[in-house]
Amino acid sequence: MARENFHRILNETQQDVLRMGSLVEEAITKAVDGLARSDIALADEILNFDDYIDDLNVRIETNCLNLLALQQPMASDLRTIAAMLDIIIDLERIGDHACDIAQITKNLAREPQLKPMIDIPRMAAKAREMLRESLDAFANRDAGAAHLIPEKDDEVDRLYRAVFKELIEFMAKDPKAINRGSNLILVALYLERIADHATNVCERVAYMVEGVPKKLKRSVVEINEVAAHGDALLKAGRTET
Amino acid sequence: MLSAIVSIVLAIALLAVLIANSRMARRLRDAKAEVALNGVESAASISAAAAAARLGALLDVLPVGVVVIDDDARVTAFNSAASDILGVQPERAVGRALIESVRSYDLDRRLLAALREGVEGTAEVPLHAASDRSLRITTKAVHGADGSTEAIAVVVDLTRMRELEAIRRDFVSNVSHELRTPLAAMKIMIETLQSGADGSDAAGFLRSLAAETDRMVVLVEELLDLARLESGRLEMRFGTVDLSALCRDVVATHMPRARSLGIALDLSLPEQAVTIVGDRDRLVQVVFNLLDNALRHSSTAGHVQVGISLAPGLATLYVKDDGPGIPYDALPHIFERFYVVDRSRSRSAGGTGLGLAIVKHIVESHGGSITAESELNRGTTFRCTFSV
Repeated sequence: MARENFHRILNETQQDVLRMGSLVEEAITKAVDGLARSDIALADEILNFDDYIDDLNVRIETNCLNLLALQQPMASDLRTIAAMLDIIIDLERIGDHACDIAQITKNLAREPQLKPMIDIPRMAAKAREMLRESLDAFANRDAGAAHLIPEKDDEVDRLYRAVFKELIEFMAKDPKAINRGSNLILVALYLERIADHATNVCERVAYMVEGVPKKLKRSVVEINEVAAHGDALLKAGRTET
Repeated sequence: MLSAIVSIVLAIALLAVLIANSRMARRLRDAKAEVALNGVESAASISAAAAAARLGALLDVLPVGVVVIDDDARVTAFNSAASDILGVQPERAVGRALIESVRSYDLDRRLLAALREGVEGTAEVPLHAASDRSLRITTKAVHGADGSTEAIAVVVDLTRMRELEAIRRDFVSNVSHELRTPLAAMKIMIETLQSGADGSDAAGFLRSLAAETDRMVVLVEELLDLARLESGRLEMRFGTVDLSALCRDVVATHMPRARSLGIALDLSLPEQAVTIVGDRDRLVQVVFNLLDNALRHSSTAGHVQVGISLAPGLATLYVKDDGPGIPYDALPHIFERFYVVDRSRSRSAGGTGLGLAIVKHIVESHGGSITAESELNRGTTFRCTFSV
C-alpha cells in the first residue's frame, strides 16, 4: 500500500469517526425529544439508528486494524489510529445509551408525566455540547480545547444530583410514581454517562496530539448523601403509614 | 416558498456556469501563462477570470447556502449563506471534507452520493450544531468535459418556518381547547335548563353560563387586541394617568380572588403620586394581565407583590410572585405570541399564550420596556419601565 493510499485511508477513517459522532449526537437529541413528548415513533427511529452506528463502528475498526497490520504506522499516525479505536468505543456506548432512553420512552408512553421535564433536557443539552466540542477538537486536532471541555462535566453531575433528589422525593410521596421516577433516574444516569464518554473522547484527543496519556478533570457523582436522603424519606413514609 | 425554489434553481444554474467558467478560467490561465512566456496577451483569459469573479460575487449574495465539493470530496465553494446556516466560517470548510467542519451525517451522505453515484434529490434533514436547525437540501452532480465530477448542495434554512408552524399548531390547539371547554359546559347547563331545573338551580346555571360566556369573550377580545396591536391599528387615547391610583384599583379588584386562593397580595407605592402619559384603559390591561398571571401561577400560601419604584426620570411598575418560576430556556420566548411555557399547566390555569405578548406591545407603544426575571421554584418578577 503506497504512503499516499495510507494517508487517504487514514483521513477517510477519521471522517468516518466524525460521521459516527454526528449520528450519535442526532440519536441523543431525538431520544430526549422523544422522551419529553412521549413520542413512540421517534423512539423507534432511534432504535433503527443503532444499525448505522454499528456499521460505521465495524468499518472504522476494520480500517484501523488494517492500517496497523499492513503499514506499521509510527508517531502521530499511530496515536491517531489508537485514539480512533478508543473513541469509537465511547461513541458506540453513547449510541447504546440513546437507544436505552428510547426504550424507556416506549415503556413510559402511557403514563402521565410527573412534572414538566426541565433538568433532564438541560443535562442532554450539556452532554451534547460536550460531545460536539470533543469531536470538533478531534477534527481540528485541538488539544487545548480537549483540555477545557471536561470541566463542563461538573454541571452535568450537579444536574444529575438535583434530578436524583427530586425524583426520590416524588417516589417517596407517591408510590404510583415509582415506575416513572425510577426510569427517569436511569435516563439521567445515561446522560451523565454520555458526558463521561465525551470526557473520554477529549482524553484520547489530547493523547493523540500531545503524545502523553493523561486523565483530564473528572467529577465523581457522589450519590451516597442523596441515597441517604432518599432512605430517610422512605423511612419517614413507612413510619407515617 | 416560491422565492426559495426560484433561488435554488438559480443557484444551481449559476453554480454550473461558475464551475464551468472556473475550469475554463483555469485552462485559460494555464494557456495565458504559456502564451505570456512567448510575450502574447489574451483578452479572452482576462474576461473568463472576470466572469468567474462576478459569478463568485453573485454566489455570495444568494439567500440560500451553496456548498460545492470536488472529485476528492473536498469543499471548493462555501458561500456566506452556507456559513450562516451551517454555523461554520468558509475558511474552516474550504479545502477539507465537509464532515470535518459541518457535523451533519445526512448532508455529508447526500453530497457524497451525488458525487460518487450521481444520486440527486431534495430532502429535509436536521442539523444539530450549537442550535438545532431544520434544513432543506438539494444535491446535484455536475460533470465536466474533462471527466471530472463535482457535487453541489443548495441549503435552505427551514427552522423558522417549522417553528412558526409549530406555534400555529399549538395556538389552534390551545384556542380550540379554550373555546371547547366553556362550550361543553354551557351545552350541559343549557340541556339541564331545557329539561327543567328549579328556581335556585336555574339561577346558578344562568350565572355559570354568563361566566363561561365572559371567558370566551375575553379570549376573542385578546385575539382581536393582539391583531390590532401588531398591525398598529389599535387606537390609544393618551392622557395623564395616575399610575399609583391605577395599581390601587386593579389590586382592589383582585383582592377577593387572592383571598379565596389563600394568596397574600401586597401593594407597595411611593408616597408621591406617580403620573405618566398613557392610555389608562390599556395600562389597566397591563397590570391586570400581569397580576392575573401571577395569581394563576401561585399556589395557596403564596405571595404576590405589586408596586412602583422610582428612579430619576423613570417609574418602574413591578409584579412579583413566588410561584414555580419560568425555565431559563423558556424565558427569552415568553413575550412571543401564543408561547406557553407548560401547555398542560396553562390549559388548567386558562392561558392561551397571548397575555404577555399584548402586555409587551402596550408597554412598548407607551415608549416603555418590559423585562422578566425568574428562578425556578422561587418565582418571577415582571418590570415595566416608563418615562415620567
